[in-house]
Amino acid sequence: MLLALLRFRLRRDRLQLVVWALSLAALLAITASAMTTTYPAVADRVGVLRVALVTPALLVLRGTPQGASLGDITVFEIATFQALLVGLMSTFLVVRNSRAEEDHGTAEALAATAAGRALPTIATLLEGVVANVLAAAVSALALIAGGLPVAGSVVFGAALGAAGCAFVGLGLLVAQVAPTGRSANGWCTALVLGAYALRGIGDATGTPHPQDATLTPGWESVLSPIGWVQSVRPYAADDLRPALLALVVGALAAAAALAVQRVRDLGEGLVPERRGRAEASGALAGPIGLAARLQRGSVIAWGIGAVLLGALGGDLATLVLGQLGSTPGVTDAMRRLAGPGSGILDGFIVVIGAFVGILAAAIAVQGAMRLRQEEVSGGADAVLSGGVSRVRWFLSIVLVAALGAAAALVLAGLAAAAAALAVRPDGSAGTFGAWFGTIVWQLPAVLVLLAIVALVFAVAPRASIPVGWLVLAAAAFLGEFAALLDLPQWIRDLAPFSHSPAVALADPSFAGAWWMTALAVAITALACVLVRRRDVAA
Amino acid sequence: MTPVIEASGLTKRYGRVIALDRLDLQVRPGEVHGYLGPNGAGKSTTIRILLGLARATSGTVRVLDGDPWRDAARLHRRIASVPGDVALWPALSGGETIDLLVRLRGGDLRSAEYRHRRAELIEAFRFDPSRRARSYSKGNRQKVALIAALAHPADLCVFDEPTSGLDPLMEAVFTREVGALAARGSTVLLSSHILSEVERLCDRISILRAGRIVETGTLDELRHLTRTAVSFERGQLTESMLAGIPGVHDLAIAEGRVSLTLASDAVAAALPALGALEVTGLQVAPPSLEDLFLRHYGDEPVSA
Repeated sequence: MLLALLRFRLRRDRLQLVVWALSLAALLAITASAMTTTYPAVADRVGVLRVALVTPALLVLRGTPQGASLGDITVFEIATFQALLVGLMSTFLVVRNSRAEEDHGTAEALAATAAGRALPTIATLLEGVVANVLAAAVSALALIAGGLPVAGSVVFGAALGAAGCAFVGLGLLVAQVAPTGRSANGWCTALVLGAYALRGIGDATGTPHPQDATLTPGWESVLSPIGWVQSVRPYAADDLRPALLALVVGALAAAAALAVQRVRDLGEGLVPERRGRAEASGALAGPIGLAARLQRGSVIAWGIGAVLLGALGGDLATLVLGQLGSTPGVTDAMRRLAGPGSGILDGFIVVIGAFVGILAAAIAVQGAMRLRQEEVSGGADAVLSGGVSRVRWFLSIVLVAALGAAAALVLAGLAAAAAALAVRPDGSAGTFGAWFGTIVWQLPAVLVLLAIVALVFAVAPRASIPVGWLVLAAAAFLGEFAALLDLPQWIRDLAPFSHSPAVALADPSFAGAWWMTALAVAITALACVLVRRRDVAA
Repeated sequence: MTPVIEASGLTKRYGRVIALDRLDLQVRPGEVHGYLGPNGAGKSTTIRILLGLARATSGTVRVLDGDPWRDAARLHRRIASVPGDVALWPALSGGETIDLLVRLRGGDLRSAEYRHRRAELIEAFRFDPSRRARSYSKGNRQKVALIAALAHPADLCVFDEPTSGLDPLMEAVFTREVGALAARGSTVLLSSHILSEVERLCDRISILRAGRIVETGTLDELRHLTRTAVSFERGQLTESMLAGIPGVHDLAIAEGRVSLTLASDAVAAALPALGALEVTGLQVAPPSLEDLFLRHYGDEPVSA
């Protein structure tokens, strides 16, 4: 029975599990080989790590410097991010197969069979463990393939898998406690990001040892499952005790989850769902108010990311001016990203601007995908059966998506400028205009992406959501990597972000921005016409 | 008087599937019109076209003297609808959803009349407006749509199987409210496959089969199309004596009882003959809607 359930789960999730495993492996392999080519000599690596040791923002984003071997610097670069991904994979997996199923009612169908209530949860737990064993194995193989020592690579994989198992247990517990499946996902995201931030604080406040390029992290790292991956110190110490701790914590949390399940009703969390308002507020006055309410969560989540990234960019600008700026490889890469003739700082501002633009595009594209979600869920029917025309309904959602993205850009621009001026009040880390202008002028490119997805919704509604993610991923990839990978110019030109005005440069060209704005308006108008002509899907 | 709903030759294709096949439908002002048909006959497709959510492939359709596809937004201020499968926004509470739906139809949330009706309906349907919609059962989701539809007056109410998730007590509340709507002069289109509900509520009925209207008229008119069932105890009666009753069809004898059917307009003519035979335990059952229904759908049992 248990095996049958586990087989069913694995069969249903197989594509997701494989995609996760391959993505994790690819990320590691790329990082390992990039380290080998970028910093071939020990002296290069020691230089970069010493810069990192005195730059808290970099320590937060990367990890604990643990030495200067190729393995060490790979772990420094990618371990925490990798553990973050494994944490998200693990918690989403268990929530999807426990509470989310209860919300859909499928859990009830299972619980009514001889499987009962506990067995499906145990099957989910086992599936989580299987997913992490897979992630650990492919990670180790990717590192070995990247030319790193076998023993350290295996230890890294094991540490990663153990942390993933801790998140499986914790996610299972959260899923039992949270009021709904959706809120359980939110809590889990906060849990994983919290674990990442906690060890970030630990790394930023740790004690640096510049002579051997290592750092003793602060006590905060000890509280974080992601910190445990780092304290295994693969390649440097291969100390598996923290990984064991992760497994124990995962097992205890899973046991607690099963205990909670014994006392709670199916479909009800330990924490009751907050009651809503009995009456609508003035804000929920029509299709725009509704669109704002529906997109609020995604705007806030991506918006926080954009603001943090902007602030981080402003804060890191001094680093570019200092030691990192004189590293030949870095200067070169920056110049290729930002265009010829740009100074190293201007180039940096342009790169950060494009990154923030991608986060804003995520708001816009997710907003456009909401059109399809509303059509499928029946929400569109309810609005359109009220006194709202198809075009007004369509434009309300598109408008809110555009405004949400614009607000995120403005706030991120302000945050970046404030951070840059805080470290260098004289504007030598970038003026207010350079930072704010560069980030805010990403809006036309964002609007083009929004309009494309809205048009797909009008023409081929079923494709809206896959095309939405694809467009976003392609724009991000082309915007950030096309130049580094030496792709042909016409492919680079496809990415809207490559046409954003580089306000930080001496003589920026705004023609691209106006063209893109006109294009976005034209595509949206066309989508309006087409949306009027087709049926609302039943 | 112009009909509130008038469709003629209405056809809707989804690819190769013909959902509606040259359908004619007329709903007069002020009537409660029952729209009957089994699952898949095209009831919901018709309603989606009437609400301008889908466009007819061919044929003409007028609702409240407008084109439901082109004038959808204007017409919907005068139409209240309850879909068969009520979908709600999971994060909104039931009360918020009711208010939003009424506002979308142009209702004023602050008017004393609305506030009174809303409170009255919430009380009558025993509905908790503060819970989030994701936690509502099917019945509670239907209550949200029903309260929103009934709390703000409309010239036309379109209900698509509105009571399929309600318990008998709540069904009674719904019946009362539909009566009130009719008394106020609203027109109601009630799609259903619950025959007793339609029999109880509707002035006129259209029966739909495979995308076409096969019967339309008042219940009385439709009854003329079928036969009245008569049964009595056999006693000492012989087959030849029974054959003397005028207009007899489907004569059968089982378990000591005689059963036969009479054309509905031939019942009066047959009564003297029955009296002469001095039959005992006589039962005369007028044709039920179920009989009408079964006549059009063959021998398959109708699930209510």
